[in-house]
Amino acid sequence: MAECLVLPMMRNQTMKSWRSAEQWLLGSMVLALVAAACIWLVFGPAPTAPGDLLAIVLLVALLLVSMIMMRMVGSTRRQMEAALQGRARAEQRATEALRGSEAQWKEVFEHNPVMYFMVDATGTVLSVNSFGAAQLGYSVSELLGQSVLQVFFEEDRDLVRQSVSVCLENIGQTHSWEIRKIRKDGSALWVRENAKSVRRLDKQLIVLIACEDITERKEAENALRQSETYLAEAQRLSHTGSFGWRVVSGEIIWSEETFRIFGYDKAPSVTLDMVFQRIHPDDRARAKQTIDRASSDGKDFDHGYRLLMPDGSVKHVHATAHAATDASGGIEFVGAVTDVTARKRAEEELHEAQAGLAHVTRVTALGELAASIAHEVNQPLAAVVTNAAACLRWLDRETPNLDEARGTVRSIIKDGSRAGEVIQRVRGLVNKTAGQKAPLHLNEVVDEVITLVQHELFSHRVLLRLELAPALPLVLADRIQLQQVILNLVVNGIEAMQAVTDRPRELVIQTHQDETHQILLTVKDCGIGIAADNADRLFDAFFTTKSSGMGIGLSICRSIVDAHGGRLSASGNVGPGTTFQFTLPLHQEDNTR
Amino acid sequence: MTGRPTSPRNPASAEEPIVFVIDDDASVREALGNLFRSVGLRVEVFGSASEFLQSKLPGVPGCLILDIRLPRLSGLDFQAELAKAGIHIPIIFMTGHGDIPMSVRAMKAGAVDFLTKPFRDQDMLDAVTTAIERDRNSRNEARILSGLHALFATLTPREREVMALVTAGLMNKQIAAEIGIAEITVKIHRGHIMRKMAAKSLADLVRMAEALGLRHPAP
Repeated sequence: MAECLVLPMMRNQTMKSWRSAEQWLLGSMVLALVAAACIWLVFGPAPTAPGDLLAIVLLVALLLVSMIMMRMVGSTRRQMEAALQGRARAEQRATEALRGSEAQWKEVFEHNPVMYFMVDATGTVLSVNSFGAAQLGYSVSELLGQSVLQVFFEEDRDLVRQSVSVCLENIGQTHSWEIRKIRKDGSALWVRENAKSVRRLDKQLIVLIACEDITERKEAENALRQSETYLAEAQRLSHTGSFGWRVVSGEIIWSEETFRIFGYDKAPSVTLDMVFQRIHPDDRARAKQTIDRASSDGKDFDHGYRLLMPDGSVKHVHATAHAATDASGGIEFVGAVTDVTARKRAEEELHEAQAGLAHVTRVTALGELAASIAHEVNQPLAAVVTNAAACLRWLDRETPNLDEARGTVRSIIKDGSRAGEVIQRVRGLVNKTAGQKAPLHLNEVVDEVITLVQHELFSHRVLLRLELAPALPLVLADRIQLQQVILNLVVNGIEAMQAVTDRPRELVIQTHQDETHQILLTVKDCGIGIAADNADRLFDAFFTTKSSGMGIGLSICRSIVDAHGGRLSASGNVGPGTTFQFTLPLHQEDNTR
Repeated sequence: MTGRPTSPRNPASAEEPIVFVIDDDASVREALGNLFRSVGLRVEVFGSASEFLQSKLPGVPGCLILDIRLPRLSGLDFQAELAKAGIHIPIIFMTGHGDIPMSVRAMKAGAVDFLTKPFRDQDMLDAVTTAIERDRNSRNEARILSGLHALFATLTPREREVMALVTAGLMNKQIAAEIGIAEITVKIHRGHIMRKMAAKSLADLVRMAEALGLRHPAP
């Protein structure tokens, strides 16, 4: 720089000295000519007139020539000086512009919020901007001449060396990478480095590096990753996976846990077919129905189904999803799917245990009841038989003792009546709660029973169809007893269809009001039906076709329905199965009274 | 049996057997009473075990008809209690619902029969006949034994000693050596014993010793 400023000054001085030399040269030439003319006049041949004249003319000419030359030299010299001055001014302006631009670029280089490094092939810092040095907590001078590796973590230094050497091998190509740097105070910052190697004018190979601070982005990324890790962990722990489904595009997104539940390897795209492929064949139609309905209505859905895994194992899952409208107005579902196999199994075990207990309790209770009834009836019966035998013996005597015989027959009548009373009492047990009759909705009772047999229906794969007439009038009945009757009919229906494998096990519960205004409830199954010779005994106490039954159910059902002023009957279906039906009188009759 | 008159009590009424019936059900009680009366048997009916125990038992052959399902005390427990109290009356059990373990237990404890209500009248009467016969026999045996005890009580200590040795099969000479008396004295004792015990022969005396449980003292 100093060089540039000095140069024009020196050139000016030279120009001035050259101009005075020229003047001296011209002056000396004129003097020499004058001197030569004088010498010729003094020492030359005698002047002749024409000779004198000639000399005078020559002198004048010489003077004129000298004057013209001097003028010409002067003007040329002025022109030259003007040109020289203009050139010097232009040079000065250019220099000033260059200086301004350089300062500006210097400013940009120093204060641009990007860290610039220039390192040589060995990694020594040749240049660094003050922003870059400040970001690392150093001053520029502290970094210059030092190895650039000192601003990297020990464990990252190999990576830095590799990256730099890659740059050096591919001159002119830009490379970028993300790496941590260490500040003077030991704290870390994440940077994205863009580097490029170039050959300087002096042929030295250098690497230019621009680094951008991405610490915040990295922290956000890490936080996100951590939160995702937590979420994945929580999903794994709770056996709950999440999913998203855009109905229009069919695009499905699964969480890691969802992939695990469905037993698929993580894949970028999931299809609805993949879901259905896993759903147990028995549940497929039902699940499809739920999903189809939800997707067409855009309503939330919630359903449970089983998965049949490739290894043959069965999983129980529960899926629940919330419907939303996406940006383009299409339906989008966001949901969760939970593997409830363990819970289901525990529930089933509990249910089996409960059912077993209930059965034992029922059988025990019925057994005790039966034993008690048997004893109650047997006593008078034994008396009747014994008395009858005694009576014969009184009559068979040589002299028949008619008085004793008569007394004995009276005892027989008394004991016979007593046995009848016992039977009446048993019947009365059923009618005992008649006082608890209240007006109620039959459909409500049906609903209550269905909640009780939900598990039975599910575990026996029975499809329940409800055809409940809306706005049925109230009936006057004992809620519990009515529940018992319906429950009994439903459970019988389920059990009757246990052996059915060639058709859907469908159970239909229907309520309606007939033309005589009686309320009717029918339970229709498609099971094994009733053999014709059993039909008559169906409602007899202790008649059963079941290996585990007591044969009390239908008999009690009929007693209950009778006690309500209704009628319980059974009939074979046109197709397979049986229909049980009972009627109940209207409650209104009581009201109008 | 059917032809046997009941109303006119014959002089042998003291030996006339009695059937005791215990059942908490009055109808059954009365029916059984009626049946036994129709065949000329004496009957006494009770509603509970304690009623039966409170009544005075006449010393005639009889049997007890017991419902296994009695209030408070079960028939089987009552059977055990009677045995403990030394009342050895033959028992016929009745039950509304007989099961095998119960009947086995009853029979092992000495029951004559185990009948399920309602029973055939002939089965009941047969069981009663068997039971009364059994009681009569055991009563006879007991009477004979108590007679023997009374006779045995008239013997002197020495005579009892000699009787034990004689019935054990020892010769007079051996007995004399055994207890250190003269053979002639043994012969005299023997004569007294035969007379006092009313024994017709030595064999008769041996049978009596057996019934009395008389043992030859350890030599």
